[in-house]
Amino acid sequence: MSVLGWRALLVFALLAALPLVPGMSRYYLLLAFDALLFGAIAMSLDLLMGYTGLVSFGHAAFYGLGAYATAILMERGVQSVWACVGFAVVVVGLYALVVSYFATARRGIYFALLTLIFAEVVYTFFRYTQTFGGSDGIQGLPDATVLPGLVIDTPTRKYYLVLAYLLIAYAICRVVVASHFGRVLVAIRENEDRARFLGYNVPRYKMGACMISALLTGVGGAIYPMRSAFATPDLMLWTESGEFIISVMIGGLGTLVGPIIGGAFFTILRDKVSSIVDWYFIVIGGVLIVIVLFMPRGLLGLRRIFSRRAAA
Amino acid sequence: MDYVLTVLLPQLLHGLVFGAALGLLALGLTVIFGLLGVMNFAHGELYMLGAYAGIAVIGVAHSFWVALIAAPILVGLVAAVTEMTTLRPIYRREPLYGLILTFGLALVFREGARQIWGGDMRRVLPPFTGSTPLLGMTYPNYRLFLLAASSLILFALWLFFTRTRAGVVVRAAVQDAEMLDGLGVDVRRVFTLTFAASGALAALAGLLLAPIFTVYPQMGVEMILLAFIVVILGGMGSMGGSVVAAFIIGVAQSLFSLWMNPQRVAIAIFGIMIVVLIVRPRGLFGREGVLE
Amino acid sequence: MRRTTWLVVLAALTVTGGAMTAPALSQSKVVKIGDLGSKVGVFEGYGKYQTMFMQMAVEELNAKGGVLGHKIEMISEDDETKPAPAVRKAEKLILQDDVKLLVGAVSSGATMAVMDVTKKHKTIHWNAVSCAEFMRTTKFHKYYFSNQPDSRMQANGLAKYIVDKMGKKVYIFYTDYAMGQSDGRQFKTALEKIGGEIVGVAGAPLDTKDFSPWFGAINQANPDVLFLAFAGTDSLRLMTQLHSFGMTKKYKLAGIDCFLLQQDLPAIAEPMEGFVQLAHYSAYNPDKQMAAFNERFKKKFGVDGNIMAGAYDGVLFWAAAAEKAKTFDADKVEAALEGMCVDNTHIGRQCIRKEDHQVVMDMHLYQVKGGKNLPIARLEGKDTIGSPMVGKDPVEGFTWEIKKKN
Repeated sequence: MSVLGWRALLVFALLAALPLVPGMSRYYLLLAFDALLFGAIAMSLDLLMGYTGLVSFGHAAFYGLGAYATAILMERGVQSVWACVGFAVVVVGLYALVVSYFATARRGIYFALLTLIFAEVVYTFFRYTQTFGGSDGIQGLPDATVLPGLVIDTPTRKYYLVLAYLLIAYAICRVVVASHFGRVLVAIRENEDRARFLGYNVPRYKMGACMISALLTGVGGAIYPMRSAFATPDLMLWTESGEFIISVMIGGLGTLVGPIIGGAFFTILRDKVSSIVDWYFIVIGGVLIVIVLFMPRGLLGLRRIFSRRAAA
Repeated sequence: MDYVLTVLLPQLLHGLVFGAALGLLALGLTVIFGLLGVMNFAHGELYMLGAYAGIAVIGVAHSFWVALIAAPILVGLVAAVTEMTTLRPIYRREPLYGLILTFGLALVFREGARQIWGGDMRRVLPPFTGSTPLLGMTYPNYRLFLLAASSLILFALWLFFTRTRAGVVVRAAVQDAEMLDGLGVDVRRVFTLTFAASGALAALAGLLLAPIFTVYPQMGVEMILLAFIVVILGGMGSMGGSVVAAFIIGVAQSLFSLWMNPQRVAIAIFGIMIVVLIVRPRGLFGREGVLE
Repeated sequence: MRRTTWLVVLAALTVTGGAMTAPALSQSKVVKIGDLGSKVGVFEGYGKYQTMFMQMAVEELNAKGGVLGHKIEMISEDDETKPAPAVRKAEKLILQDDVKLLVGAVSSGATMAVMDVTKKHKTIHWNAVSCAEFMRTTKFHKYYFSNQPDSRMQANGLAKYIVDKMGKKVYIFYTDYAMGQSDGRQFKTALEKIGGEIVGVAGAPLDTKDFSPWFGAINQANPDVLFLAFAGTDSLRLMTQLHSFGMTKKYKLAGIDCFLLQQDLPAIAEPMEGFVQLAHYSAYNPDKQMAAFNERFKKKFGVDGNIMAGAYDGVLFWAAAAEKAKTFDADKVEAALEGMCVDNTHIGRQCIRKEDHQVVMDMHLYQVKGGKNLPIARLEGKDTIGSPMVGKDPVEGFTWEIKKKN
């Protein structure tokens, strides 16, 4: 636990206490699920974007494949969380292996585009394959079980499921970032050629980062049907990948914590504003423009303003 | 032989018409990419604004032809203002910021259009109707006009880029803006004007296509992915490449749909893309090294 | 520096936490109902009219004192036409707003995803426009009700008319996702059953820009009738293009009830001339009840009504059932709804069939003339509804393959 630090543990403890807040409605717990899941996936993407300098436009495919892995097993009567997550790791892992092998051989925009097009192929496949429900996807899934007798059926239990996932994913990301491997990634981001001259097998490091990020995202996808009871091709749409990237940018690139906040903020903002006005896309678009123009470090960049004030 | 005449050739013609339209859209995108290193997500929205501006002008002037001139100018102005206020401050930053910014701009434009003109579909009547018997079909004259007009515009642009000083300056800026700056050219003005021109081109495409594709706020977002693919296939920043790639994609889609289900067509197109990106990542006509 | 990071995190947490626990004011004597549909995007026309028709029902009921002494309050949400947001908004309406009736969604995929939510949280669910055949069969649950004639009902009625009056050779052209596939399948099944001949089938992806690559195959098949299963912007684009190729004059046209809304027709009147569809409502039906209903709608909103009028009935049926059950309890309202009849729906008296909760709708075949849907024949609900198939697979043994007739 030392990798997390006491502040992170405090925040997780507060998050864990959320369902105990008096008057907390079940809907807000489900919204919190979506917010934290989105945040966790943005964080996984940050490992690639912020630390390795690779922008993936195909994370929706990892996410959606994970969701389909769960849905396919559940449809066939397997309800164990562990089996579903394990299957998702295998499926997403195999796909990510192929994508990252080809994509990490390229830099910059080509990496983004290769991941995007691979993802579109996966999307198109599921969209039209009737065995997996075609455009309807797989719906009406049962509740998942953690242990015999412990069923993820209430919003509170679903919320704890995603919180556990977030905690583990965060710990993994922290460990990766703090490790030698993580420092090499940053070195690659700063100057790929230099890292190569220093003797590092750059493609292998990039591939490693891509795999970790993809698997974390895939596991996130795997728990989504345990909350929503469905997996549909829409989860793999390229605009979904765009939203992951946006979340990373909103929160602050290369900070891990920032993207979690960014993802949660984006989810909640969208949900709230769309209930109030029907021009909420102007609000979301405006937020993006403002962030790019005035706070390029994202929401976490605000801390500098605060700390400067505190110093003054 | 009969098969070629009554099936293949008509299909080829459909593909060429669609390819020409796609070329108009992709050309602006690729120039902006070369210039700013940004995949302009808002390009599809400028295309959409072109169609709406056209409808507005037709409402006042009652002439498709007037609109065909006025709408690109109006949208070009919008694009110029957008460039000066939002894109200019971030040129020195990583391209990623441009991507996010244009993504935000796209949302604002799309929703703005919906608020102004409503979400309903609109139809723009073609300036002339009638059809020509061709290859066993009655081919609509407007489609033939579209093919001719797009080809003409593309040819004019080619002349502009190769034969005029302004065209050479833009091409030089695409290659190396800093060098141009050193030579005393006002690069900022080049950027603004190019962005405006690219917007105007998108608007022109939007209005030219409106009689066939109909008009609604989401019309751009559905075209942009295809335009991206064209730009990649042609080689990012390569103008000629984009035009060739647009025709290839248009014809491929049209021909494939003769023999395959729609999903296989989509997967086949993506398959081509993946092979291109792996084997020849700079695209068909892209320059080596610059962007890899 | 790091401390401030966590300060930001804590601040964010507090804000979201605060927003989340904002107490829902418990006003007495108000009952809420939810309106879920596409309010933005390519299907927004359907969603917007759903809201309008529900609003009309709510205001009329409230003018008469509401339901069980409660004033009805309607809450509208946008589902972005996608299952994931649809589910979240449905949960918001049910768990947060505590709606007693949920009407929606527009697209079949979203509606089916929402059915799992209404099933789980035991909420009366009314579908007024989605037409996939699975909703009253494999996906059916006891809180689900519908007055939308689904693919099977439409196909049963339309196929017979086409074979009798329009021609035996039919080409099916459909939009390749849930709704279009469902309509195409059911229509093919129904037509083949009564001796029609399918001379060709083709699906085009959703949001296809240029349909002309498919036109060659249609012309080669040389059908009498072109059956079109598209909706929204796709329909408008398809008709524009068919027309420019002279195909709207060459073939007789038929299609599904949500092909285009009445409001879209004037702009595309000429291409649509002669288009036949089966629907429960048209603003131009001279039927007394429908005319009076349209008069009320037009007075209120300044536009003609359309097939989304089914959403009006949803509210009416639910209110009548609640009055009958003397409670808003979902199980009791559900029991009251089974077999229930209501006299003053948008088309007069209608009843809900007990077995699959489908309203047995009397419908008309409509033909577009001068941009107006005019009735050409009336079909009894019992003749089109088909046998109840709850739990049975409605597409068992189906194949898109064309049986060649010798």
